[in-house]
Amino acid sequence: MAAPASRRRREPSSRSWPLLFVAILAVHSVAIYLFTRGFLLTRTELDVHSHRDDRTGVSPGCSSWPRPAVDRLVIVVLDALRFDFVAPSTFFPEKQPWMDKLQVLQKLAAEEKNSARIFKALADPPTTSLQRLKALTTGGLPTFIDVGNSFGAPAIVEDNIMHQLVKNGKRVVMMGDDTWTQLYPEHFNKSFPYPSFNVKDLDTVDNGVIEHLLPSLRENDWDVLIAHFLGVDHAGHIFGVDSTPMIQKLEQYNKILEDVIDTLKSLSTPGGPHENTLLLVMGDHGQTLNGDHGGGTSEEVETSLFAWSSKTPPDAVLSVLGANSCNFDLYGAEVCISTMQQLDFAATVSALLGVPFPFGSIGRVNPELYALSAGTWDDQKMGVDACTPQNDLEAWKRRYAEALCVNSWQVKRYIDQYSGSSIIGFSAEYLHHVAELYSKAQANWSVALRSTCPSETAEEEFKASSSSPLQLQIDAYSDFLESFAKLARSAWTEFDLWSMGIGLLLMILSVITQACVLVKLNTICQPSDQESTSSRAIPKLSFAFMLVAIRAASILSNSYILAEGRVANFLLATSCIAGVWHSATKGNFSIEEFVFLLLNIFARFGIEFGMSKQIAGPTVTKDHPVSIILDMFGSSFCNGLMDIFPIISLALVAYIVLKFITYAIYQRFLKYFIMSGTILSYIFIANHWASESTLFFHSKAIRDIGISLAPRFVYAIGGFSLAISALCRLFGAIDTLRLNERITSLSAAMLCSWSPTILILLGRQGSFVALICITGAWCIIMLQQKYQKDLKLDIIGVANPVSVTQWSLFAVCLFYLTGHWCTFDGLRYGAAFVGFDHFHIIRQGLLLSIDTFGVSHILPVLSLPFIAVHCYNKASKKSKVKDVTTNILIQVHLMYGLITAIATTLTIICVTIQRRHLMVWGLFAPKYVFDAIGLLLTDFLICLASLFYS
Amino acid sequence: MGAEATQISAFAAAAAHALCFAGLAAAHSFAGRGALISDPALALRLLVVCEAPLVIVVFSLLRRDPERCSLIKAAARGLLGLPIGAFLNAFGAIVLGAPVGIKYWTATTYWSLLMSLFTFVPAACVFGASKVDWQNVLSYSAVFLFSHASYCTSSNVVDCMISVPSHGAVIGAWLGAWPMPLDWERPWQEWPICVTYGAVAGHLIGMLVSLILIVAHKRRVRVKAD
Repeated sequence: MAAPASRRRREPSSRSWPLLFVAILAVHSVAIYLFTRGFLLTRTELDVHSHRDDRTGVSPGCSSWPRPAVDRLVIVVLDALRFDFVAPSTFFPEKQPWMDKLQVLQKLAAEEKNSARIFKALADPPTTSLQRLKALTTGGLPTFIDVGNSFGAPAIVEDNIMHQLVKNGKRVVMMGDDTWTQLYPEHFNKSFPYPSFNVKDLDTVDNGVIEHLLPSLRENDWDVLIAHFLGVDHAGHIFGVDSTPMIQKLEQYNKILEDVIDTLKSLSTPGGPHENTLLLVMGDHGQTLNGDHGGGTSEEVETSLFAWSSKTPPDAVLSVLGANSCNFDLYGAEVCISTMQQLDFAATVSALLGVPFPFGSIGRVNPELYALSAGTWDDQKMGVDACTPQNDLEAWKRRYAEALCVNSWQVKRYIDQYSGSSIIGFSAEYLHHVAELYSKAQANWSVALRSTCPSETAEEEFKASSSSPLQLQIDAYSDFLESFAKLARSAWTEFDLWSMGIGLLLMILSVITQACVLVKLNTICQPSDQESTSSRAIPKLSFAFMLVAIRAASILSNSYILAEGRVANFLLATSCIAGVWHSATKGNFSIEEFVFLLLNIFARFGIEFGMSKQIAGPTVTKDHPVSIILDMFGSSFCNGLMDIFPIISLALVAYIVLKFITYAIYQRFLKYFIMSGTILSYIFIANHWASESTLFFHSKAIRDIGISLAPRFVYAIGGFSLAISALCRLFGAIDTLRLNERITSLSAAMLCSWSPTILILLGRQGSFVALICITGAWCIIMLQQKYQKDLKLDIIGVANPVSVTQWSLFAVCLFYLTGHWCTFDGLRYGAAFVGFDHFHIIRQGLLLSIDTFGVSHILPVLSLPFIAVHCYNKASKKSKVKDVTTNILIQVHLMYGLITAIATTLTIICVTIQRRHLMVWGLFAPKYVFDAIGLLLTDFLICLASLFYS
Repeated sequence: MGAEATQISAFAAAAAHALCFAGLAAAHSFAGRGALISDPALALRLLVVCEAPLVIVVFSLLRRDPERCSLIKAAARGLLGLPIGAFLNAFGAIVLGAPVGIKYWTATTYWSLLMSLFTFVPAACVFGASKVDWQNVLSYSAVFLFSHASYCTSSNVVDCMISVPSHGAVIGAWLGAWPMPLDWERPWQEWPICVTYGAVAGHLIGMLVSLILIVAHKRRVRVKAD
């Protein structure tokens, strides 16, 4: 960075400036790479699945998946269930109004110590429902970006419990939150999904679940039942934890759970349908007192799990459960609480149900939860190699050790597979340590097995010491599993603050350097005698800086990120009104200013319309102006209009573009080539749109050609004319032209080769957007010329900062105007399939990115030279014209890059500050990804432009 | 020419501003606390009704060229300026993103009338159609911000009285629009409530600043004269 910059300062020759932009691109890439590595934790999804007939390890006793221990499983998920909703208030320093509301669970835990237990379940961040559900079922640690093969659809492709249940003939019933059906579209025998997006609705989902829950419990057509209540989560989001609606919700749940437990108890007689059923009441994550969740604070990660087995295990269970955290509840009965990791849920449930563990599960079978199920105490003989265990506890320990043996084997298999296939693996040193632990544990296994058949004399010894070989074996496996879980956590759930900090620092430094270079350039090109003009330029500079600073600062708040399009539009309109103000004081109001104001209104409605699509739901669009107009004219008339109007305005766009080509391209060959290419492209686009609509009655064959072939021709022509203009640039047919003309010709050729492709990808709205683009660009350029004339600045080579800022704000507006927004479901996936039916990752990815960034990044950057050249038309007769034009060109590009870089830096700062915020994965992280890609693309295009025009 | 005629004392300027302020205060007391939030259209209407006669009368008294232009004529100019200014303000607000929709029409109308009273009407009363004076007032912002030329000199005390509060109102309204997209879900974030708050606050601050400027200038002149 420093080297080219300092060279620049010494001699502003036109040869070294591409180097400057390359340096900027390099620094930004490094900064963003570092930050992304620290912030966006990524994990590769493996689509390998466990199978029933896997040879699970060679050791005796653990050569097959564990046997089932429960017959049926009822999982009641209460979304955002804080730990203190379930645990008795005596466990906390102070009793709060929301505590002790789920009395039925506390009573059961106190009365039936052998079969009921309250657990404190520790979730891993990100504590958002989708990620948690994924974690619960896959047994892994989902990150924000799980690199997988799905393209937009949220369905889980990794191995998970649901998949294993279905594969092994278990029937699953689901009711409640529809996220489940999105994640597992075809896994449920029966499902009663209810929409979860409306946070303000506390009851729809819950009432739906209540309606189906009790009747389903009495039926026999399922093995696993999942009921997911959302009320507590929604009440928290809207009212907070300490509120009446929250307490009402909890009391309602208490009632429901009472009914559920009564029903289960009444049917749990021997031979009854719920003879050996396990009930789990659990939260997927906690919440803060404000009802937020998503981050990693203890309030958010601490949730609870209540387990109750309808069949009571023997008393020996108490020695497994332990009594380390016991306290008296409100009625003086003793309640004990255990702690478990949510990570262990998938493995434990699989072991209990006797299905293969999900391939990617890295949890450990939790001993206490495993012991609660009476089935694990069943004294089943295991063939000749087993000896008769001496007591219940020994038998259980043996069984548990076997489960752990399988568990460790499966985790080891996952480690090997993952580090073999993932690009970003674990550190080799740590892996080696973990592998050592595993082999040590395996080596002991045969010893431990032998010792379960102890001689009579040794028996006493075992009883005396807790460190029997079996116990040692269990400890060894647990040690291995825990240390791997620790390793996985550090890789998948913890931000690397160092890397993030260095990235951010680099970004800030590069912005400062960029600004310094810009200032330096400014002073170099100013003749020293023009003190007065430079002081007249200060208001413009400070105004532009103010606009950029306000926009950048607005990114710090999530509300302004959501309304970013409107903010950009507001600032653009402000700059425009300030311009009007300025001309009013001079008394020379011009038509462009009025047009620009009107354009702002159009842009504003466009952005609002685009944003109304973003917020799903029928209520939002009701009183929107566009839908009012639709109502007024009737929809069929409007549809007809919608079909014809884009084509008419397309003709207008084509006319303007052709006019522009004849004016802007001086080189004759290039002019005719680009012109014919443009005409052809526009005809193809019109043909494509016409064949899509039902209004024009083509035969099917022609329509097919129009739909699938026309876009491909457009892409081909675009690529071809790009190549031709690059060749023209390389083999200097243009060198004879004056610099101004050369730059204009080249950038016009560039624009004309890109625009048809972008236009067709945008779809019907494309022609309107193109009109708005053209008008906006025209207004900005004309106004700039006007101000330049007013200030008599045209002899000095200083670019107008306000125009460049307007240009950049306008680009942001266009992004939102075209119906994009900064989340991944805001991508217009339809655009990827214009002209193609089949999915190909590179081809469709390219089309999608051209659609996403085309109108807001590619076109604005490519047309930047017009600002530079146009402000310079007047002074072309001066002797230093070449130097000055080049200089303005550099300044304009540098300024544009700087504006983008400032906005991105602020996004990065915001993401760093808000990394534990509720919306970090829903809003800030996608915004960061879009901004980072946008910045790199802008830098790259500026580099190319600098090479192309120099 | 008319400079001597419009040379008014700092006391008169203070009185004029105090009258305008009294109009706002009266409207506030009529409407009661929180009326702007519960029924913005009504509260804005009250504000306009209370403020309009006061502003028109006060600034008609301060009109330029009192000999050639009667009080009635000045007041008529102010009345004519009211809808024109309202239209300009409404247009500006819509360009900046004010919601348009049937349920917002009345509130927007009253709001723009109020803004017109803050910005356009005083100038219309005082200057009429004099282009130079208008430009002079408009360019105040540039003078104020970027150069240290003397402002609020004795010849243009009225200019200062008009210009600074109206700039204040516009900037206040602009700033007042910023809380609107925030997700606090407070009733006052609705259009045009917080914008009105911003405009009124800006206008009041502008009044105060203009008074301070006038007094400071007078004192400087007196010191110089001594």
